[in-house]
Amino acid sequence: MVRLYRLESKIVALFITLLVVVQLAGFVAIRTAIDRNARASISEELAVGERVFVRQLDQNAQKLTQGARLLASDFGFRQAIGTDDRETIASVLSNHGARIGASMAMLIGSDGLIRASTLEYPDTDLQRSSLELVRKAGNGNGASENAVVGDRLFQIVAVPIKAPVTIAWVVMGFPIDHQLVNDMRELSSLQVSILVSQRGGAAWSADVSTLAAPAASMLLKEVGQPAMRSGGLVDLQIDGNQYRARLLPLAQASNGQQAVAVLQRSVSEAVAPYQRLQLILLSITVLGVLGAAVASAVLARRITSPLRDLADVAKRLGEGDYSEGLFIRRQDEIGRLGNAFETMRLEIASRELKISRLAYQDQLTGLPNRVQFADLLRDAIAEAARTPGASCYILMMDLDRFQQVNDVLGHSFGDDLLREVAQRLSAQLLHPGAKLSRLGGDEFAILLPGVDQDGAVEQALQILRALEQPLSLHQQTVDLGAGIGISGYPTHGQSSDVLLSHAEVAMYIAKRKGSGLVIYDPAIDQSSQESLSLLSELRRALERDEFILYLQPKLALGSGQVVGAEALVRWIHPEKGFIGPDNFIPFAETTGFIRMLTLWMMEQVARLSEQLQQQGVQLKFSVNLSTRDLLDQELPSAFAAILQRHRLQPAALCLEITESAIMDDPARAQNTLERLSNMGFALSIDDFGTGYSSLAYLKRLPVDELKIDKSFVMKMAQDQDDAKIVRSTVDLGHNLGLRVVAEGVESEEVWFLLRQMGCDQGQGYFMGKPMPVQRFLEWREQWRAPDMLDQSENVAV
Amino acid sequence: MQLKNMIRKGIRGGLLPVLLALATAAQAAVSVQVLDTTGQPVPNAVVYAEPAGGAVLAKTPRQVEIEQKSKTFIPLVTVVQTGTPILFPNHDNVRHHVYSFSPAKTFELKLYSGVPGSPVVFDKAGTVVLGCNIHDEMVAYVQVVNTPFFGVTDRSGSVKLEGLGNGKYTLKAWYFTMGPNEAAVEQPLQVQGEGRASIKLNVKAVPL
Repeated sequence: MVRLYRLESKIVALFITLLVVVQLAGFVAIRTAIDRNARASISEELAVGERVFVRQLDQNAQKLTQGARLLASDFGFRQAIGTDDRETIASVLSNHGARIGASMAMLIGSDGLIRASTLEYPDTDLQRSSLELVRKAGNGNGASENAVVGDRLFQIVAVPIKAPVTIAWVVMGFPIDHQLVNDMRELSSLQVSILVSQRGGAAWSADVSTLAAPAASMLLKEVGQPAMRSGGLVDLQIDGNQYRARLLPLAQASNGQQAVAVLQRSVSEAVAPYQRLQLILLSITVLGVLGAAVASAVLARRITSPLRDLADVAKRLGEGDYSEGLFIRRQDEIGRLGNAFETMRLEIASRELKISRLAYQDQLTGLPNRVQFADLLRDAIAEAARTPGASCYILMMDLDRFQQVNDVLGHSFGDDLLREVAQRLSAQLLHPGAKLSRLGGDEFAILLPGVDQDGAVEQALQILRALEQPLSLHQQTVDLGAGIGISGYPTHGQSSDVLLSHAEVAMYIAKRKGSGLVIYDPAIDQSSQESLSLLSELRRALERDEFILYLQPKLALGSGQVVGAEALVRWIHPEKGFIGPDNFIPFAETTGFIRMLTLWMMEQVARLSEQLQQQGVQLKFSVNLSTRDLLDQELPSAFAAILQRHRLQPAALCLEITESAIMDDPARAQNTLERLSNMGFALSIDDFGTGYSSLAYLKRLPVDELKIDKSFVMKMAQDQDDAKIVRSTVDLGHNLGLRVVAEGVESEEVWFLLRQMGCDQGQGYFMGKPMPVQRFLEWREQWRAPDMLDQSENVAV
Repeated sequence: MQLKNMIRKGIRGGLLPVLLALATAAQAAVSVQVLDTTGQPVPNAVVYAEPAGGAVLAKTPRQVEIEQKSKTFIPLVTVVQTGTPILFPNHDNVRHHVYSFSPAKTFELKLYSGVPGSPVVFDKAGTVVLGCNIHDEMVAYVQVVNTPFFGVTDRSGSVKLEGLGNGKYTLKAWYFTMGPNEAAVEQPLQVQGEGRASIKLNVKAVPL
């Protein structure tokens, strides 16, 4: 069985199979009916033929009887009989008999004796038949019958001779001749043969037949034993033709000889018109099948070819090619499917365009974004790689002071500013193939395909010059500036990622140096490599618990009591040993690792605080937050989770934030600080006095404490200015309702000075360095505050 | 006693008419009834009595007519004594051709109309069948007998033979359906005055 995988083949096969089955069934039914009809009609024809033939024989006999009767009524003949004139009688018989075609004639007296005969020695059979016939005729007007005489069939007739009563009979015999059977053949289209069985009854001999001689002799063999055949229908096979025949017994002689008429009809002749009909039907069937095949193929193609086209379109869509559509101008389901497909193609194309715009385009400026820039760079590198000696360069720039502009003048202004900058930058492009892109924030990049380093520098200088012009926007004038990093293929790297990161490194250097533009140098990268390894070491340190919590005590200057401690971190590196915070904290801050460190600290402090509270010790621990922490929106909830785990109130902790951390992004910082304050944390501003925060801004912050930077405190005993700053800061803090803490208390003198100034708390080497938890707890037990009364009078400011 | 017995026998055996006839005078008439095989009376049967011993009874016969009317011979059956002339008047308006091939009298009256000039004399005893050559269905029978005592039975199959003297006779009966060579049925007749006789014929009576 051939499996059909194509819809078209399936449809065609189904159509043709159906048609062939129907036609075959019809053909068989018709053929059966035709066969039955043909046989029935042959039988009918034969039955009719038999009646016709019998009638024909009868008419022939009547014709002969008429002739004989005419003779019998001849007056002279009757006179001769009446006078028994035998000579005359004999001559009349022969003369009149010949006149009507009788081959023999005889006169039989009313006594039953043959009085005269044309045959010299009448056959005894003939005599007997004649006498029987006369007897059969009786008083009637004459009779006729068939008789076998010799090997031939005769019709014999007997008519009475009346004068006017019957005085004798004339009997005449006529051989059945070709005329009769030929007439029959013309009347009925049947083949007619008269067969006479030979004496002894062994075989037939043909008397007369419409068949040709060879066929007639075959017929004799076919009919078989005379004894077996008495009538009815038989099937014959003569000369390759099939016949159906009817045997009609005509005469039976007393010696056993018999005569039959064989009426035969050619079956093939009878079914010939039907065979023509069948041939026509067959042609119709074949034509129908061909027509159905063509029609169904056309139909199937009309269905499947658009389907194939649609499949091709779908495949192209799958490959991301939306360019070519398919228009099927049809009203049917296929047409609707095609339209749906077309609609889908356009929708998907437009959506993809939108998506790629979102993915590859910066929404604010309409410039390519970082992803697209990377792609473009990749293409440019590939292009340059194909041409020997070719190069391509990128410039990466970051606007100076954009963050402050954004904070002061608002985000909307910042956005407008970025759009302006984008416009200005695109106006400065020197090379036709140059592509400007906004990588994010205030970072822009320019791709310079096929440009060498000099060209790149020229372009960078052009931009720097352009940015020197202040930008007026919404009645505001803004001074712009930028650091530009330059890297190029193939000098600085082979891949777009490498070029980008190198350009970025160069850009940071440029910004740090404030030197406008920096071309990447592999030497810079050395440090970045180290940074990378440092970061992974930090991560490992956290996993391996290499960090250690240190505590530096905070004391109430008035009472000398230990009121709390600042939590600090120390790193015991398995190979390098003790690493001070200055060696990894700044790096942790720039990489964002500081957030994990902050959470670690919080966890440690919370656990300790919980332990101490259970021992009835109430100490307020301070944890430092970095800029990164303040920008982390998740921080408050992370803290809340830690407190809850250790069943602590936020009030048990103090969070310290440096002034510069706040000023990096004052709005975000304020937001985070308000949330933390609302949760109940006490907030402290660390390193106060080193930053640029305005008092107005400070006033708005939900802060509880100011920590005066240790640079002012350490030397206040020697430096009057520092002492003044400290004193005024303490006053300022108190006036704002804040607690004031001094850091860097390294001598008893300073202790007393601060106490005298009214500073609330102190922290420094004089009381205790940062120390591990266990040492801190031991230290707290031993701590004795200096005698206040003695010292307070000695110090005067 | 003997008479009585004879009468009884006669009644039983059909002899009664004979006995009755014997009882009458010399010149007597004998009534004869002819019956067919089924016992039905046979009309148109010829009955004649020939004296035993073959004595020729001379009697000058009168001329008889057999007319043709409506293409029919009338009467159908005629009995005559030998030597009787028969005239064949044609009363139809078509011609007739009367003929006979019978050995007793072969003759032919070629197409004629009206009354022929002379009669045909039937001078030989026997049966003569008459026909008309142009009307095959016309037929008539003439029985020529050698005795003056003859008659043709009437509707009831009876005929009265007149003028018989007492003595022995041979009573003969013939019917036209009998074969041409078939002899008349005969039986002895003893005439003794008026008498009756009955003859049975091996025929089927043809109704008139």
